[in-house]
Amino acid sequence: MLVIRAPFGVGTHVLITVIKYTGIFACEEFKQDLNKALKSENTAKNFTLCVLDVAIEEKQSMYFYSKGKRPFFRITVASPRLVPTVRRILEEGDFKFGDYPQKQYSTYESNIEFVVRFMVDTGLVGCGWVSLKGGEYEVRRDRSSRCQIELDVKYNNLVCFAPEEEWQAIGPLRILSFDIECAARKGIFPEADKDRVIQIANVMQIQGQPDYLFKVVFTLKETASIPGAEILCYEHESEMLKDWSSLIRETDPDILTGYNIINFDIPYLMNRAAALNLISFPYLGRTHEKTTMSNTTFQSKAYGKRENKSTKMAGRVQFDVLQILFRDQKLRSYSLNSVSYLFLGQQKEDVHHSKITELQEGDKLTRRRLAIYCLRDAVLPLRLLDKLMCLINYIEMARVTGVPISYLSTRGQQIKVISQLLRKAREQELLMPARKIHGEEEYAGATVIEPRRAFYKDPVSVLDFSSLYPSIMMAHNLCYTSLLGPGDRSELQPEQYIRTPSGNYFVKADVRKGLLPVILEELLKARRKAKADLKMEQDPFKKKVLDGRQLALKMSANSVYGFTGASIGKLPCIEISGSVTAYGREMIGQVKDYVEEKFSIVNGYAHNADVIYGDTDSVMVLFHVATVKESIDLGKKAAELVTANFPHPIKLEFEKVYFPYLLINKKRYAGLYYTQPDKYDKMDCKGIETVRRDNCTLVANLINTCLKKILIERDPGDAIEYVKRTISDLMCNRVDISQLVITKELTKSDKDYSARQAHVVLAGRMKERDAGSAPSLGDRVPYVIIAGTKKQAAYEKAEDPIYVLENNIPIDVKYYLEQQLSKPLLRIFEPIMGDKAERELFHGDHTLSRTIVSSKAGGLTMFAKRSETCIGCKSVLKGNEAVCSHCIERISELYQREVEQLRNFEEKFSRLWTQCQTCQESLHEEVICTNRDCTIFYMRTKVIKDLEEKSRIIGRFEQQVDW
Amino acid sequence: MFEARLLNGSLWKKIIESIKDVVEDANWECSGSGISLQGMDSSHVALVSLHLKSDAFDPYRCDRNISLGLSSTNLSKILKCSSNDDSVIIRTSEASDNVSFIFESSNSEKVSQFDLKLMNIDSEHLGIPDMEYDSIVKMPSNEFQRICRDLSLLGESVQIACTKDGVQFTSSGSIGSGKISLRPNITAENLDDTVNIELNEAVLLTFALRYLNFFTKATSLAPRVILSFKTEHPLVVEYQIQDIGYLKFYLAPKIEDDDTKQTTTPD
Repeated sequence: MLVIRAPFGVGTHVLITVIKYTGIFACEEFKQDLNKALKSENTAKNFTLCVLDVAIEEKQSMYFYSKGKRPFFRITVASPRLVPTVRRILEEGDFKFGDYPQKQYSTYESNIEFVVRFMVDTGLVGCGWVSLKGGEYEVRRDRSSRCQIELDVKYNNLVCFAPEEEWQAIGPLRILSFDIECAARKGIFPEADKDRVIQIANVMQIQGQPDYLFKVVFTLKETASIPGAEILCYEHESEMLKDWSSLIRETDPDILTGYNIINFDIPYLMNRAAALNLISFPYLGRTHEKTTMSNTTFQSKAYGKRENKSTKMAGRVQFDVLQILFRDQKLRSYSLNSVSYLFLGQQKEDVHHSKITELQEGDKLTRRRLAIYCLRDAVLPLRLLDKLMCLINYIEMARVTGVPISYLSTRGQQIKVISQLLRKAREQELLMPARKIHGEEEYAGATVIEPRRAFYKDPVSVLDFSSLYPSIMMAHNLCYTSLLGPGDRSELQPEQYIRTPSGNYFVKADVRKGLLPVILEELLKARRKAKADLKMEQDPFKKKVLDGRQLALKMSANSVYGFTGASIGKLPCIEISGSVTAYGREMIGQVKDYVEEKFSIVNGYAHNADVIYGDTDSVMVLFHVATVKESIDLGKKAAELVTANFPHPIKLEFEKVYFPYLLINKKRYAGLYYTQPDKYDKMDCKGIETVRRDNCTLVANLINTCLKKILIERDPGDAIEYVKRTISDLMCNRVDISQLVITKELTKSDKDYSARQAHVVLAGRMKERDAGSAPSLGDRVPYVIIAGTKKQAAYEKAEDPIYVLENNIPIDVKYYLEQQLSKPLLRIFEPIMGDKAERELFHGDHTLSRTIVSSKAGGLTMFAKRSETCIGCKSVLKGNEAVCSHCIERISELYQREVEQLRNFEEKFSRLWTQCQTCQESLHEEVICTNRDCTIFYMRTKVIKDLEEKSRIIGRFEQQVDW
Repeated sequence: MFEARLLNGSLWKKIIESIKDVVEDANWECSGSGISLQGMDSSHVALVSLHLKSDAFDPYRCDRNISLGLSSTNLSKILKCSSNDDSVIIRTSEASDNVSFIFESSNSEKVSQFDLKLMNIDSEHLGIPDMEYDSIVKMPSNEFQRICRDLSLLGESVQIACTKDGVQFTSSGSIGSGKISLRPNITAENLDDTVNIELNEAVLLTFALRYLNFFTKATSLAPRVILSFKTEHPLVVEYQIQDIGYLKFYLAPKIEDDDTKQTTTPD
């Protein structure tokens, strides 16, 4: 890994601020006057000479098409910190030099941050390779860092390699994953200034190697050994923390990972060390610089607002798996438990933090148990990284876009495009204007062809434009450099430019080829190559790299369009983005007309083809053929014919056949996905509640099962029966509570929300009950809706699932039926059943049975007395017997029924208990897991309640009859 | 076989209307002594206890104890089809999964029959045992209804104080506060208009007005209402239905920890 330090003041680094200027030979004067102007500025105080050099260079602005080059000033200043000041002075309009009049100057590339500037100028890419020639560097004797070798080199002697061929290799990066455990006080989330760190588990892996280099757990007090891991026991916390700090320095990891280390583990350790006055602790980086912390906020359209802690650790990348998942995956829950279940298929024992102190205060065996738990939390992030190939994908993305890897998890999309744009611009001697952000301009988005809603039992072919927006930009040469300004057309011949459907003008590629099309061509070419290589490659690790690469390339190509449309961006250009979408809209319409005209009875086909739906870059065509094969063939033919009508490289491809196909609405459909004639690949659902996170899992599961029954088994009748059964289960309290849990993210505190929201109100209430376990900002809050009185607002009825389970609180069946199940179910079943769907599904005979649960939490519960009812006929009994005088003749039968049920519960309980013991990897210890993302946990708690109730009933029988 | 005929059919209508806001699905227990119903509201804050003696019906036949699972909403819908002076017969047989409601006009010219599907409701049978109360207030039922309605304009709960001087209802909210005091008045011309307080011990309790307003829908059933209080115990709001039975509502007191907290389920 290359650690680049930028020594200030020696002038080895370049800082270019370029201004447009028409005069010549004014450099020296300009330099002197600019230096004078800077004298009074605060930022310039520590510099004797601020402006090092001013030179004139022949360049071109990249915005608008123009012929020939013009002279620009290139200003080199002593430190990157001076750049914004210089920019302000020049743009404010108060600056004058020599005899030239005072005027406002436009600056170019003055808003580019130093790291990007440096990397662009040297051609260095993130995670790339460099080489230094002998004689061009000096080995430093008095080292200023902990690196083994330290060299000084002039920036222009750095040889950087493009990540191709042999330079595609990934170095043996050392990755350290760690997790800490803290001894929290009862009911309070651990606070660094009060609560001890009791264990730190560390696992190190070399990237690409299957085995771990070491597993070591630092523990406080004696802890029994764990096979395969080293346990280091300490009497004093300070000693442990000091040793951990040296572990980081000695093992010298390139990458630090873990789960939520950026916002929890690292800040906690830092604050704890500060509280214990450990002066030697905060030196975790590769230089001798002290490690410091700060708060950062990051806001972007794609990722929303996030508040983060940021710890500066020179030379180490902090690669927090939680942050990666936040960015890349849309999940119901981001807890390590649910994530590891989802991606690794493994439930994880979850020890509540109030229980941790208990285990720590026990003996060496309970501490061993904690150490196993802690160690697992350190291993899981590594396994997740490996499984999701995060690291490889991010490395490839860094190489493709040229930004440092850390930017990918901390910054937005724009910086990636800027880096590429600057690199290309440099080759062509173009300059990027430092534009002021202008207000939001709206332009029409993509188009959809109105869907013809129905359940299609014939195959439907889907044709889509591959990389639609990039290919439009390439085909029509849409770019900043080809854009014609209002008056520019007069100088050109009409055949030299085009008019886009949105009414903008661009020159054609033979006049000047745009930068963006060139970038896109290279990206797509590289992607094709990566995909071809991927097919040839045998080695699984290299295969992963290539797959990561082609994905990164695809994403980069797509983000170029977004960059031109980002109204709050570095260089927004509505003319480009508006033209792109306008072309897209026009093309979808053309495809529809063409296909319907060509594939018709008039032209010798058996049926008239119908385009039943189209969205952005795809159209669904119903050819009215019976088999998948015919549909595929016609689809391929249509794609070929249409492609011939569009300019290169726009390409319509046959993508898949849906058979059958349930088209519910815009962006809502489901179908069986075929790419070959005889076997379907998968069931594909879009916009249907199987994935939405603000629904309970019951909805997702129910919809999923129904779709399977409808699409795969082709038995809608069975699907209807299944829905009825589930609704009946819901009414009789037979549905697992874990299926009813809804989660919402707590993004703002109570005061910030204008309307009261269920999860926010609940979070407040939970805080009153137990501040320690209550959700905090940024957490996803799980809740269920409980039965309330008439007219009670929904937000008052949200309750913590565990609390509901423990107190046997009745859930609001009506809410789940009307607010959760009704709409998604009717959407699916209306195309199939028509108007009677609602009546049949929600009001049939199956809704006549229900169970009313007796809560333990209501205000009257403590006063109420239960009268037993007959097990046979439910009539009220005077005493405690099991059945009434009328049902006594059936007593044997009823008893056996109850005993049978008791046995079922017992068996269920044993199975669940064993499963939990297996999960905690210890078969002779009590289960203490309270993992709220685990369905088993809820089931286990519920079955205990059921068992108690059944045993009581059996007791009543035994009282009544002496067998 | 179960059959019960009530001459004054409009009574059924009134009863259902007064309980349907509190209990939705409930088992109606029919036995030799009459028809009764006990049910809690779903948040377990209020309880309804209804009993109608078998003498109230003519004829009344109940071969064995049975329990009829019915939804109050559907019951209310069906009963709305009867005219006020109709007699109502409720009839079901053991094997049937329906219960029939037969409405007969007073001149026997029109007979309508509605069958309602029985529900299978699995619930615990809960009741509040009788106890000694600290204070019992008897007052005109429409007066009580009025007080609850007026105070609910101001706040969500009412504080009720019974002393030897009288009974005081207080409520406050964001727009202001209200206080209504009643003095014992045993000299009123009409016996139904008197306010009568039996006091063993002074009490001060707070209740959710939302529920009291549900209860006072029973006002048309009886001219008088009996309120029984005991410190830290549920309030009883009782309506005597002529001499044929009673309708009692129980309401858990609100625990005063925070004035602004409006949740009815104490945590």
